[in-house]
Amino acid sequence: MLNVQRILDTDILIVGGGIAGLMAAICAGEQGIATIVAEKAHVRRSGSGATGNDHFLCFMPEIQKITLKEMINEMMAGQVGPWHDTLLTKVFLERTAEMVHRWHSWGINMKPFGPDYVYMGHAFPDRPRMYVKYDGHNQKEILVKKAKENGALFLNHHPVTDLLAEDGRVTGALLMDVREDEPRFTLVRAGAVIMATGCSTRLYPNSMTPAMLFNSGFCPSCAGGMASAYRIGARLVNMEHPYTHAGTRYFARCGKATWIGVYKYPDGRPIGPFVRRPDREIGDNTSDVWKSVFADLMANGTGPAYLDCTEASPEDLEFMRQGMISEGLTSQLDYMDREGIDPARHAVEFGRYEPLLFGRGLEIDETGSTNIKGLYVAGDPIGNFRSGIAGAVTWGWISAENASRHVKEAELSERAREDPLIAARLALYEKLLRRENGAPWQEFNIALQQLMNDYCPPAPRVRSETLLRAGLKYMGDLRAHALRDMAAPNSHTLMRGLEVLDLVDLGEAVMTAARERRETRVQHIRSDCPFTSLSDGEKFINVELKNGRPVTSWRRRRML
Amino acid sequence: MPPLIDQSRCIGCGVCMEICPMQVFRPNKETRRPEVTYGDECWHCNSCVLDCRQQALSLRIPAPFMMLHVNASELEPGRR
Repeated sequence: MLNVQRILDTDILIVGGGIAGLMAAICAGEQGIATIVAEKAHVRRSGSGATGNDHFLCFMPEIQKITLKEMINEMMAGQVGPWHDTLLTKVFLERTAEMVHRWHSWGINMKPFGPDYVYMGHAFPDRPRMYVKYDGHNQKEILVKKAKENGALFLNHHPVTDLLAEDGRVTGALLMDVREDEPRFTLVRAGAVIMATGCSTRLYPNSMTPAMLFNSGFCPSCAGGMASAYRIGARLVNMEHPYTHAGTRYFARCGKATWIGVYKYPDGRPIGPFVRRPDREIGDNTSDVWKSVFADLMANGTGPAYLDCTEASPEDLEFMRQGMISEGLTSQLDYMDREGIDPARHAVEFGRYEPLLFGRGLEIDETGSTNIKGLYVAGDPIGNFRSGIAGAVTWGWISAENASRHVKEAELSERAREDPLIAARLALYEKLLRRENGAPWQEFNIALQQLMNDYCPPAPRVRSETLLRAGLKYMGDLRAHALRDMAAPNSHTLMRGLEVLDLVDLGEAVMTAARERRETRVQHIRSDCPFTSLSDGEKFINVELKNGRPVTSWRRRRML
Repeated sequence: MPPLIDQSRCIGCGVCMEICPMQVFRPNKETRRPEVTYGDECWHCNSCVLDCRQQALSLRIPAPFMMLHVNASELEPGRR
């Protein structure tokens, strides 16, 4: 029988040791607050920032010469997109500069080009710049060191399987130790929990290599993490809006702003209106604005789309190469070198990646708190804000400041030790572990992706009431099949299997929200509701579990 | 099986097993040395290659991941 083998107490439990989680640990530690960082893999190399980043969205009005309002407008028009409560955007932007100074003082090189910060990339011509260009190749190493100095206790190889709650407040979590084949379980009691679980990948079939579950621009181990918060009653928001990244085909990798080139049709015409020649200052913002451009070009036969860097100067190409190292793209560089792919001579095909839950997810207020007392969110799983690395850093910090204040008043729950959820979940895990002649987790992940792709696809394909109603029915069938048939004979496969069950919960929430939004908006296309409603644009849809069923409600967008 | 371990260089220190974000490497049941067990789950992030002090690791990029490219001159006949 599986059982809890140890109980640990802490002030703040941080779920996920990526950029947001480490920042939260550093911030709380500075205030003398005890933290445990529960990390699925190892903090040294986990999450989407594992090997680096090179663009950090930051508001420094003295350098940018723009107002806060202008900065927010620029963000909404570009890659970040319009799914923010801009009240949160303001809270975030006002803290970004101090984060950049902090990182630089810790040894992450935010000024790789001289004495000043340099703004570059992801920009429109003759418009303000928003991103500080930096060298983040060692960002995790530095943050891990700093968090350790500040007293964080790392539990590596300990995915959180479940959160615990009572009377509308979070009380702790169940962690699975996956270092040995036989899983071991730890109960952590905490005054507050910060969800820093990254974006959710593996919900949709890989857009380019459907047979490969792990060919993702973002960390493919970050799958379904936010579901444990949803299951204890935390509200989700913006789930119906597909977010799709884009990049090289078929080797999926983020970093399109690191490339310095012009997107072109096969006959050499530029696709977008922004640049005619490669420009390191702004990049080519075409796909940040026309979000389905690469998919559209394939669907209408005018593609494929290429990124052509050949007119960049040798200095710009060398600059781009250094940027790719800062961004953590060394595996791709090694591959290109081996295969003789040279941006000075070759145009590289770009494609749209599959939707992922990034800036769609858990709803927070200006303190980083969810509707569950003591439960905070940082970084990519926030549903009403999105800004990649800068969002991870800044919300990691803000949520930890507020969680630290919260825990000074909070007492650990005595009832958590006996929470009936623990026994119920361990009984399920026992079944999955010991089941004979069962089916591997991959079958259910692939089945889930089929359902999402057929019944809730992103633009240019459509959704409708009949498709979504059918999809939700089939999603229920899939969950029942998985619970009946899945076998996960060791800790590793159990971890993956539980990710799939989490993703089924989230997929159901996506379909439920998509069914509720009876209008067409950006990449959410309803064939039965083709118009974009003026009034609905200022309203967000929440999804929360009530009596085990996803329930939607509408609320006004909280605008500055 | 994307990561390849060069057995002549590997000293069995286990760093790759420790840091791989996907848990691609698992210990051999008898020797406890790292083995590529879940190669299909490789993200090709290069962490193992970067962190192996023995330089015993390399990535083999699977065929479906081929980077599609053309000679740029073919995009613009006038520039040939």
